[in-house]
Amino acid sequence: MDYVVEMKEINMSFGNVHAVNDGEFTLERGEIHSLIGENGAGKSTLMKILNGIHRMDSGSIVINGEHFRHYNTKKAIQMGFGMVHQEFALVDELTVLENIILGFEPAKHGVIDFAKAREQINFYIREYGFDVNLDKRILDISVGEAQRVEILKTLYRGAEIIILDEPTAVLTPQETLNLFEILRQLKSKGVSIVFISHKLNEVMEISDRITIMRDGKYITTVKKDEITIPELANKMVGRDVTLACEKPPVHTGECVMSVQNVYVSSKRELSKIKNVSFDLFQGEILGIAGVDGNGQNELVEAIMGLREVEQGSILIKGQPMQNQSVLDIRNTGVAYIPDDRNTRGLNKKFSIMENLIANHLGKIPFSKYGILNKKNADDYSKDLVEKYDVRPRDPSLNVGNLSGGNAQKVVFAREIEADFDIFIAAQPTRGVDIGSIENIHKLINEIKLQGKSVLLVSAELEEIFALSDRIMVMYEGEIAGIVRAEDAEINRIGLLMTGGGTSAS
Amino acid sequence: MDIFSNIFSYSIIHATIRMATPILLASIAVIITQKAGVLNVGIEGIMTMGAFTAIVVSSQTGSWLAAVLAAIAVGVFVACIISVAHLKFKADVFAVGMTINIFAISLSIFLLNSMFGIRGSFRPEDLAPLPKLTIPFLQSNEVLNSIFNNYGLLEIGAIVMVFGLRFFLNRTSGGLRLKSVGLNEMAAETAGIHIDRTKFMALVFSGVIGGLAGAHLSLGYANFFISSMVSGRGFMGIAAMFFSGGNPVISWLACLLFGFIDSTGSRLQAYGVPSEFVMMLPYITTIVVLSVSMWLRKRKSLLLASSVKTTGTHQLEDQKG
Amino acid sequence: MLHKNTYLNTIFSVAIAFLVGVVLILAIGQNPIEVYGELFKGAFKGSLNFGGTLEKFVPIFITAIAFYIASVVKLFNVGVEGQMYLGAVVSAWVGFSFVNLPGPLHMLLCFVCAIVVGGAWALISGILAVRLNVNEICTTILLNYVAILITSYLVNGPLSAKTGISTTPNVADSVILPWFMSPSRANTGLFIAIGIFVLFAWILSRTTFGYKLRSIGSNKEFSNYIGMKSDRLILTGMFLSGGIAAIAGAIQVLGVHHAFLNGFSSEIGFYGMLAALISKGNFKMLPVMSFLLALLRNGALNMQRFTGIEASLVDIIITVFILIASMDWILVLFRERKKVRVQ
Repeated sequence: MDYVVEMKEINMSFGNVHAVNDGEFTLERGEIHSLIGENGAGKSTLMKILNGIHRMDSGSIVINGEHFRHYNTKKAIQMGFGMVHQEFALVDELTVLENIILGFEPAKHGVIDFAKAREQINFYIREYGFDVNLDKRILDISVGEAQRVEILKTLYRGAEIIILDEPTAVLTPQETLNLFEILRQLKSKGVSIVFISHKLNEVMEISDRITIMRDGKYITTVKKDEITIPELANKMVGRDVTLACEKPPVHTGECVMSVQNVYVSSKRELSKIKNVSFDLFQGEILGIAGVDGNGQNELVEAIMGLREVEQGSILIKGQPMQNQSVLDIRNTGVAYIPDDRNTRGLNKKFSIMENLIANHLGKIPFSKYGILNKKNADDYSKDLVEKYDVRPRDPSLNVGNLSGGNAQKVVFAREIEADFDIFIAAQPTRGVDIGSIENIHKLINEIKLQGKSVLLVSAELEEIFALSDRIMVMYEGEIAGIVRAEDAEINRIGLLMTGGGTSAS
Repeated sequence: MDIFSNIFSYSIIHATIRMATPILLASIAVIITQKAGVLNVGIEGIMTMGAFTAIVVSSQTGSWLAAVLAAIAVGVFVACIISVAHLKFKADVFAVGMTINIFAISLSIFLLNSMFGIRGSFRPEDLAPLPKLTIPFLQSNEVLNSIFNNYGLLEIGAIVMVFGLRFFLNRTSGGLRLKSVGLNEMAAETAGIHIDRTKFMALVFSGVIGGLAGAHLSLGYANFFISSMVSGRGFMGIAAMFFSGGNPVISWLACLLFGFIDSTGSRLQAYGVPSEFVMMLPYITTIVVLSVSMWLRKRKSLLLASSVKTTGTHQLEDQKG
Repeated sequence: MLHKNTYLNTIFSVAIAFLVGVVLILAIGQNPIEVYGELFKGAFKGSLNFGGTLEKFVPIFITAIAFYIASVVKLFNVGVEGQMYLGAVVSAWVGFSFVNLPGPLHMLLCFVCAIVVGGAWALISGILAVRLNVNEICTTILLNYVAILITSYLVNGPLSAKTGISTTPNVADSVILPWFMSPSRANTGLFIAIGIFVLFAWILSRTTFGYKLRSIGSNKEFSNYIGMKSDRLILTGMFLSGGIAAIAGAIQVLGVHHAFLNGFSSEIGFYGMLAALISKGNFKMLPVMSFLLALLRNGALNMQRFTGIEASLVDIIITVFILIASMDWILVLFRERKKVRVQ
């Protein structure tokens, strides 16, 4: 069998972390090959080596029969590679057209021939059935469209091998179908595709072959027809997993928070909150489902006082709290896990201890007359690190050194230890390993069992279904529907997330 | 009324452009680096060195062209120092720039003294100033002659550069790549653009323009040199850059406004306003203009982001809430 | 981590800067050993020279602290020079005006007024930066020119001593900070400087206020989310920065000149700012860097008298030193070595 790409015995370390350990990967022409594994399994790293972004420490790479060792991104592009990263490499302020041609502009004496560029790109748009507007700025388009721009960009640069890193994480079910249609089109024209994912049902739908990685190691490569989802899961995690933990029964009490006809601003048109109303009751978990960027963040920020409420009111325990300071809102009993733990949830320049005491700073054991009591803070954080199983157990460490899961535990520890009745968790398990996900779900259920209320925002429908008592779907800044969990069907929720189906609130 | 017409006679146009040009050249220089994501506060130092070099070469060779070329060369050299310190040795570009500013002043004082034994201002007699452009047939009419004739080479050159830069930024591949580096390094890098090389080129270009700005100061704007002659014009150029959000044409308008205030101010002095207050005027104007423009920009972005104001239909229904 | 070692970096920088100095001195045909010898004699030998170094150290050190405080909340207060001038002129005015007040109270009033005016001046840029996102580098530096022109107007007009030179009347004897190393002008302002340094070291590391300032400077979004009033804290930081810079001016008046002299500073504030910048965020390095710059400047002035070398040459060497110190030598040397190993 002739392979387009053949990678063998690839090794690479970041400092002490052996990110790829004897990695292997082969790719045939015109196939869709999925690369699966948990977070940190080394799949992105392996593909970044192939794409010239990282340098391997040892190993062999054969591309179209030719041996390669080290090359840079520019060379990788020349060899026909194109990679669509999780974080898009697009310049927000420039137009779609400018982004696509950037670095590869058709130009005469340095002057760009925009007409020619447009013509070339339109060829690909027609050929593969893309839906993009070349003259809009990236700032003004949806995430799904931005992803199509990324794929167009690789094609424009002449890619014959396209690597997609977790492409569906940011898409609606509808957009995912659309993407798969494009991928099939590409495949039929002989383009080879690497599909990095951990969503097994999608992998089973789109792939020809599947390669599994775990802890940086190559596990196996199988044909899609020769394996089932449970087998895949088992190989990926290395043990049997039951993601669905038991949902505790709900005992709803009185309304603790009431959002009434709220309007909130946003830079992005689709994220503006328009006339949103809902109630949160004592003892329930209300899940907010929706594709990223449909206003969930703006809504939560408005509740927390981080964003101006332009109209409408937010009653917390009967008190109107819209446009109050964050501190006042926290003091009425709201705790909050933000979706971005790296810039908002944690201060990466600070130690674990300093992060843990941040919201207790002015209170008695930690300070008196504005003077910090370091000993009490140290003792307190030592206890918390133990209680929440933060590894390593050294509160004086800089929080930037922690893994995603452990960093998130620090955020949870700080917020749960505060005095609260309403717990807002936005994307609580994003970028967290499977072991920690279970832990975090357990913590959220415990909060509910204590009779407190949880507002859970997640783009992972599985998570929403696993935890919520009621599910509220947001689409383009409005509520597309609120349903009781027992009445909810995943298909219907998916439909509501894409703007299909009428409002049923 | 008499005072008024004296201050605001048609000759103000000439004076405005004269005052605006050094600021405009500085502004062009910093727009280029800002597009690559580098705030070049060392522009004042580049200008000081350019001005010094130009006047020395001009007085020694008697050739303004040689003076201008030498000023450019020195400007580029200073820009290279900034580039190496910042890009290779990872120094904070702000620290480097501010140091270069003081360095340039000290160096010019030192060289003036050791080369010519001069302290203070340097006014060589055999100086070849930058040429002025005149269109002969306009000379017959006093008003037209005053408004359109007798502009210095770089007073016109700077305006040409404004539109040249605009074309470069909007229409050329170099301009697109430059902008991408300043806006999103990661995106630029994955497009195969060399970040440091682009920044280096931007700094070199700002050295060229900064050198020209210096030459204009000592050979066009004035026919002498003192080490403190840049006196904040580089920073006014930076202010104009911030004002315009990096748009060369709007930046030009800002510079014209600064120049206008400066030239009206210097006429006020004749009417008993203390010289200190007249000298303050351009700095204060710059701050006020910059602040007002940022306020307008903030208002606009708030309006664009608003959920209520852009979706007017909802406003009526929910007025009560 | 090796490359984070600012102390090692400083040693490298000093060594390299001195080597560059050797080249420069050779280039103008002088003997480097002799010149450096005179420089160090000029900075250290005898109480006159050493006292002079201490006298120059104080304002550089204080303005370095001032710049640092603003940089903690991520504002570049390039206006320390102007704020120092305003502090100086205000303290001079209070110092020669309210002569009937009891001495200690009078002195306190000098400092308080200076702090308020300097702080308020810094607040202009602070408010514009926080509320309207106006770049504070621009506004602070432009306001420097305005501040200096204001003092120049005052000292030539309303506050002039009318002696023919641009100076105010002398301040009352009771507000003068005594000289302790005569015949030099080293004055007890030194202890004020040390006091400010210790106070802020304590505030930054041991108080909730210091924690909040550091938090805002290192991650504003986190701080907002936790519930800090970041705008107000940033403005407080900027006010303190301007106030401290003004103290430097007040000390120059009450401790050195005993009146406000027009244009007295010769860029003290800029050197203070640069001392802070080459300390690279390490508060403990501020006195070291400030002292280095002070000894170079004072040594240079004294050296000039004996060797005939221009003081501006020394300014050149100092700026070259700052330039070299601002670079990350450890990073570069470390990286070079690694490259060799790979090949």
